[in-house]
Amino acid sequence: MTRVDPLVGADRWFASLGWRPFDYQREVWSAFRAGESGLVHAATGTGKTLAAWIGPLLEWMEETGGTTTPRRRGRAAAPPLRVLWITPLRALAADTAEALQRPLTDLEIPWTLETRTGDTPESVRARQRKRLPTALVTTPESLSLLLSREDSGLLFPELRLVVVDEWHELMGTKRGVLLELALARLRALQPELRTWGLSATIGNLDEAAETLLGAYTSRPWRIVRGVDPKEVVVDTLIPPTIDRFPWAGHLGTQMLPQVLEAIEEGQSAIVFTNTRSQTEIWYQAILAARPDWAGLIALHHGSLDRKTRDWVEEGLRRGTLRCVVATSSLDLGVDFSPVDRVIQVGSPKGIARLLQRAGRSGHRPGAVSRVTCVPTMALELIEVAAARDGIEAGAVESRLPVERPLDVLVQHLVTVALGGGFRPNEMLAEVRTTHAYADLRGDEWQWALDFITRGGAALQAYPEYSRVVERDGRFVVEDRQVARRHRMAIGTIVADAHITVQYLKGPRLGTVEESFIARLKPGDRFIFSGKPLEFVRVRDMKAWVRRAPSSKGAIPRWMGSRLPLSADLAALLRARLEEAARGVYRGAEMEAISPLLEIQARWSRIPRADQFLIERVRSREGHHLYFFPVEGRLVHEGMAALFAYRISRLRPITFTLAANDWGFELLSPEPAPLEEALEKGLLSPHDLLEDVPASLNATEMARRQFREIARVAGLVFAGYPGAPKSARQLQASSGLFFDVFQRYDPENLLLSQAHREVLERQLESSRLGRALERLSRAEVIVTEPRRTPPLAFPLLVDRTRERVSSESLGDRIRRMQLALEREAG
Amino acid sequence: MTRDLAARLEVAGEVLWLLPQRVAYWERRRTLLLADAHWGKAAAFRAGGIPVPGGTTGEGLQRLTRAVEESGARRVFFLGDFLHARSGRAPATLYALQRWRERHPELELTLIRGNHDRAAGDPPPELGIACISEPLAEGPFLLAHHPTAAEGLYGLAGHVHPVVRLIGPARQRQRLTCFWFGPHGAILPAFGDFTGGGDLRPAPGDRVFVIAGRQVVEVGGGPI
Repeated sequence: MTRVDPLVGADRWFASLGWRPFDYQREVWSAFRAGESGLVHAATGTGKTLAAWIGPLLEWMEETGGTTTPRRRGRAAAPPLRVLWITPLRALAADTAEALQRPLTDLEIPWTLETRTGDTPESVRARQRKRLPTALVTTPESLSLLLSREDSGLLFPELRLVVVDEWHELMGTKRGVLLELALARLRALQPELRTWGLSATIGNLDEAAETLLGAYTSRPWRIVRGVDPKEVVVDTLIPPTIDRFPWAGHLGTQMLPQVLEAIEEGQSAIVFTNTRSQTEIWYQAILAARPDWAGLIALHHGSLDRKTRDWVEEGLRRGTLRCVVATSSLDLGVDFSPVDRVIQVGSPKGIARLLQRAGRSGHRPGAVSRVTCVPTMALELIEVAAARDGIEAGAVESRLPVERPLDVLVQHLVTVALGGGFRPNEMLAEVRTTHAYADLRGDEWQWALDFITRGGAALQAYPEYSRVVERDGRFVVEDRQVARRHRMAIGTIVADAHITVQYLKGPRLGTVEESFIARLKPGDRFIFSGKPLEFVRVRDMKAWVRRAPSSKGAIPRWMGSRLPLSADLAALLRARLEEAARGVYRGAEMEAISPLLEIQARWSRIPRADQFLIERVRSREGHHLYFFPVEGRLVHEGMAALFAYRISRLRPITFTLAANDWGFELLSPEPAPLEEALEKGLLSPHDLLEDVPASLNATEMARRQFREIARVAGLVFAGYPGAPKSARQLQASSGLFFDVFQRYDPENLLLSQAHREVLERQLESSRLGRALERLSRAEVIVTEPRRTPPLAFPLLVDRTRERVSSESLGDRIRRMQLALEREAG
Repeated sequence: MTRDLAARLEVAGEVLWLLPQRVAYWERRRTLLLADAHWGKAAAFRAGGIPVPGGTTGEGLQRLTRAVEESGARRVFFLGDFLHARSGRAPATLYALQRWRERHPELELTLIRGNHDRAAGDPPPELGIACISEPLAEGPFLLAHHPTAAEGLYGLAGHVHPVVRLIGPARQRQRLTCFWFGPHGAILPAFGDFTGGGDLRPAPGDRVFVIAGRQVVEVGGGPI
């Protein structure tokens, strides 16, 4: 066999496929071979995968002298683990592996390549327990599981590279932090390890790279910019009549005829919605209108069974599907070249998201990416116009990294204690090499150690507690039940707990949030996987269902994602409102909504950017105050609680709160003293450090946030298949934990984390402060419309409510009554 | 007894006081009735590696002491689920119960066993608690852990950990632990602090008394 320069070999391989490597791909290969780490950002479908993958192949060919024919065949002869490929969605693992396999086969590289996710069959897992493949495609959770193996210290001697695919999706989440910790562990075991992240373009790429690399930024690294995105066209299906258009039609399929027309214009379309329930509804509606499309249209969301998803993705790739209705589960991943039409139902809620979805179409040469937006309520017309403004201005949102979540740290420490144990000083140093815990305080570290060994702070040790124990200076797990429970939980800890949906006599359909199933009563109907189902019971960690005769009276009621509007988009929205206030309606969307905005102007006011509109409306329900800062839902939730708290200090009053992306509502049985409150600094940006936490305590927000923390920190455990009955005696709701901590261990750092997360991540308190600065300088306009004007209408019908009260519970109870059977809702 | 914070009702010809300590007091027999104490539940969690702070046992015993002292009760009936789990029979928990017993030697204590008691075992004999299987007829009442009906007797039971949802003006909502009195029997709230609750949907005619902080308040409905 002749010796071939690996680079030449790679070029030849590209040429054999009719391709030529991009310059940026070559840059990544040589940087990798020079020992560097880094971050590659490029548009979807421009070869990021090969940019990261060819480098380690070239390196191997060089090291083995270009010998491309192995002397022995078979798994045992393959080189040990060299590349870990982390993907955010297990649904992407199979596709990724397929894409990675191609050069291995063509270049005759005798590596083994396998996936390992929650979907991996037990037989493959068993094989992997004996010997890992040369390259492993896996998720952050499955990597954690690998680190919990007792022999984890021996698994990575030849590991050269970790690729983190779609890093922008993981960053800013606790799963991303879990991965940061896992990377720190891997780097401690294998210091020469290189890390490459692959990312879509986001507003803070430097920070994204620094978060991925942590302390390894002290070594050579670079950001490589890939191919520029294609041109993007955003257009809108304008509803024919705006006045009959539902103002809060979350589910409205009124635009169905136009959507069908748009689908028929192309070969293959993806219809994106924002929630799973909308996916189900649109799928049903399209099928009902075009019964002859049965078999040509499909449904895709993260809850569906793997086989179904595979079938759908395969159909998209081959172009055999007319249309797929999907959630963000299709935002990521390999390309579906035949797709030439992307339809976005509902507001995109962010500029980057709209770009990403647009990029799923137009992969043919010379094609532009086009996305067609379908508003489900009138105000979304403005949101589309604003999002297009953002794309034209080249504004893309940032993803903010998560800082010091102690719940994730606690989980990781138990994982490492299982995986051979750790010495505290070494472990602290290792943890601090991550971006998330670089500023971890000594007392926080001590608390985390105490939490896993003693249950609570040093001075308040919990008796009879055992989880992690110290043996000769090493922290290890000895209790087999603790070990088993932790391993079973790792996979479900960070994501919401899911439960399998299965026919009583038949196949699995997929998984659904446990919180949704928990609300169902036997006999309830819901639509899942495009089929009407009747809930029978939960047993063995499965929700058993039977086919329902019809879908009548049933929709999935789970929340899906209630995406908040991004800050950047909110600012563009205010600019569009300002134009409308001056009578300027630019573009088709604004022209279409102008009649509605004119009603708003007549009944109340369209706020200019330097005005703060407050509407006071009386109804049978009580006295409504509507505020319109137009800052996005997250800021509004915080501001609603803050305002309710500040007003309730003036006199005993009880408010119920609702917030959306445009504004928020305070509803009370009696009129609220608004003018007095305004005089006494309702809008003041001062005293936020005291007022915001106090208002937070008045709501249930921290209690709700604690659900996630309790799960991540291993307090709440849903059980597992075959769990002994005694496990049930250790089940309690996170709300119960919250109450019991609040009462008996109020200094518990998990509680303060819940508060911090609500403040920083949910309410974005820094944004809240900036918004108040702006509003306190604005001209306050209070109107008293007789009927609810258009801007306020969606708030009026919103059902998600918080409460803030300065009345005693007893006083409030006296005015309340029992929610009797048949209560609406 | 701080009677303005308790609720009084007549049922089956007897007077019952419902106390905010989550117990019922049967006036004529000077008897406290309470269900689902789940002593040692937090300890069972800790033993299983799930950190729950200490203090729930002490709080519960203080509450019980207060109910005993304010009512002047001579007997206490525990309507099942006295101990939560075998792994919750922690020395500290049992010691606290023992100390409490020593301070109340004159009280007559009876446990009517519930489902948790079967797995967790009877309380230690030193506590001097008579343990019997359900149900027990006592005057006009049928005492049990699981809600049980019988001809001519009014049932008093636990097991359910009842909670009701209240609605008020301006879309107010509240979930509260309650006493529930139906036509044939009543369900007492869970006495234990670290216990959850199941939503109860009362029918018209049921009487429901919620525990609103330091007082018991009747809501909705009318007399039985």
